[in-house]
Amino acid sequence: MPESMVAPEAAGTPLRLEQRAKLSSYLGLSLKNGLLNLLTLTLYRFWGKTEVRRRIWASTYLNEEAFEYSGRGMELFIGFLIATGLTLVFLLLVFGIQLLGPLAVLLILPLYVGLIVLIGFAIYAAFRYLASRTAWRGVRFHMAGSAVSYGLKYFGLMILAGVTLGWAWPFVERKLAEPLWANLRFGDRRFRFSPVAARKEKVYGPFALMWFGGVVSYAAVATFFMGLAMQPDFDPAGDPAVLAAIYAAALLFGLLFLLISLPYRAAMMRSVARGIQFDGVKVRLKIGALAVGWLYLGNILLIVFSLGFLMPLVQARSARFILNRLVLEGEVDFGAIHQSAESGPRQGEGLADAFGLSII
Amino acid sequence: MRGKAHDGETAAVHEVEVEVSSWAISFRLGDEVQLWRLSEIEVEPLGDQVRLRRRGQGARLTVAAEDWRAAAAGDAAPVARRHRRRERRLVIGLFIAAAAILLFVFVGVPLASGPLARMTPPLLEESLGETYAAQLQFAFPPCAGEEGQDILHAFGDRLEDGMDTPFNILVEAVEAPMVNAFALPGGRVLITGDLIAEAETPDELAAVIAHEAAHVEQRHVMQAVWRSLGLGMILDAVVGGGTGAGQQVVLLAGSVTELRYSREAEAEADARGQEILQALGYSSEGMAPFFRRLAGDEQRGERRAGVMEFLSTHPDSLGRAAASEGRARPGAPAFSPEDWRMIKAACDGAPRRSSSD
Repeated sequence: MPESMVAPEAAGTPLRLEQRAKLSSYLGLSLKNGLLNLLTLTLYRFWGKTEVRRRIWASTYLNEEAFEYSGRGMELFIGFLIATGLTLVFLLLVFGIQLLGPLAVLLILPLYVGLIVLIGFAIYAAFRYLASRTAWRGVRFHMAGSAVSYGLKYFGLMILAGVTLGWAWPFVERKLAEPLWANLRFGDRRFRFSPVAARKEKVYGPFALMWFGGVVSYAAVATFFMGLAMQPDFDPAGDPAVLAAIYAAALLFGLLFLLISLPYRAAMMRSVARGIQFDGVKVRLKIGALAVGWLYLGNILLIVFSLGFLMPLVQARSARFILNRLVLEGEVDFGAIHQSAESGPRQGEGLADAFGLSII
Repeated sequence: MRGKAHDGETAAVHEVEVEVSSWAISFRLGDEVQLWRLSEIEVEPLGDQVRLRRRGQGARLTVAAEDWRAAAAGDAAPVARRHRRRERRLVIGLFIAAAAILLFVFVGVPLASGPLARMTPPLLEESLGETYAAQLQFAFPPCAGEEGQDILHAFGDRLEDGMDTPFNILVEAVEAPMVNAFALPGGRVLITGDLIAEAETPDELAAVIAHEAAHVEQRHVMQAVWRSLGLGMILDAVVGGGTGAGQQVVLLAGSVTELRYSREAEAEADARGQEILQALGYSSEGMAPFFRRLAGDEQRGERRAGVMEFLSTHPDSLGRAAASEGRARPGAPAFSPEDWRMIKAACDGAPRRSSSD
């Protein structure tokens, strides 16, 4: 048998990321997943989602080598069963407390606080699962850190955003991104998140635009509704024209708000990307408000006109759109990176799935 | 064939020469010879390449798709077949699971809801009813006419004498923009002001109240609670909170089937309601004309919004009118003319009430 040899690779290799998904190939997959979902009371969705991820990962190349997604539909399914069990316990608690009488509603409040912590927990757990099922050149990613403390942090930051009427939101978003990236590992090497670098990207100007624009357009829509309700023959249930006007106004507000939030969305994405570091490699995301707007517009149209069927296509499109705008600056010595013993959680991101939180 | 391999230990690339035999592939990786049985290999297509891995191991081998096809054509074909077979088995399994869930939801839960309702402790049902009433009083506030309300309360108490129930039948007139009556868990019976206005004789109103009281006595109300709880929770749980393809369709289909009572329960409540009235010496002749009048409206094309609501929750009005006519017996009116006037005035608002004081 011939000798194998380690391909010569400089100790410092520059990085090039490329997403080569062929979007047309996701049409068939969308159709297959959609039909099987209908046939199986949507139970197939875990396997459908897994196949979408596998294909997106497999068409994402770093230095001509494709990423690998090794998650299994069954893992997501088991995670879902666990989350369902927990949700059932929660519902039974809420139901049981209601039996104690009307005042017991006060007891439900802490349960809902717990729910917010749980959302943060779920986001972290989903990220951890995705990382652990991602590999490149046979070396796995994984996450350190604790999902519980992320949940508590999430709760605290949400309160902060609330009491500041949203003005802490950019701070909150960066704070929430930090542990996700700072705890990420590739083999035995760690990612870092530099808040200083992230802050170099200015986000408060676009945020102010979004905040004030949001308030103004909300006031406009509210005035419109008030005027409508003041009319003597106002009857939203009886008159389809009035109903249509209400939906149209809500839709208009949604689109308007989306439009004025684009500069902020783009700036925050750039900011988070800029904070990410790996072994001296820095990350830049070359994306502007127009590009994000184009991405969102296309996604909304695809989802609305296909009644959700084209979701896999939308996910592939988004991945390609964003990953191809990522620039990695710096060099890595791949030969020196070793596999870690950490193999990740055994089941999937059930809770995140239940809350509709998983990114892809 | 030539390939690129990773040993699963470092991120280095190994250039390897792969030998294919009828049952395995082998190549040298560092100091070790890798021998992968075809039955253990998982194949992942990557455009013009394929990535091979041995189940449960970190090492990876990437070769040209063309080379692998050539090798696989003779010897490694079972790998692709195995993959297809596994997927088919998965889909069939999930389909059977889905069918079983549907069967359970639409047959099992309704069947179990009756026994479950009869097993529910009355105390539990009562406190559940309290909670419902507390929530409902914002949407349906009680009518202001105290005298009318008192007369309705007293009638509910009298009905209990003819019934076999642990519950306190509490009849209440409420303000709501529809012609309807409903029973809550635990014995509360709500009658809308519009329904009171629609009723032409005391017999008609008494028939409706007795019908709702019979739902309580037969535990139909609790049964409906269990059924909607079972339907909603199971379907929501299976489908999850997502908005993906198919998920909303399934949820919609579930909500459509959530009718309040079954036809059998309605027929049972009709008959039992009349029995209760008869046992107490009241006329049971009011049901047929009331149903007939509302249904007649519909047949003449006069679809008044409030009436439609009543008909949609009390289906087959004409058929039930005929059935109840056969069982009807004359008897004393449930309310005296003076009482009837008070009941009619109960939901007319403040002015009428102050003048009668």
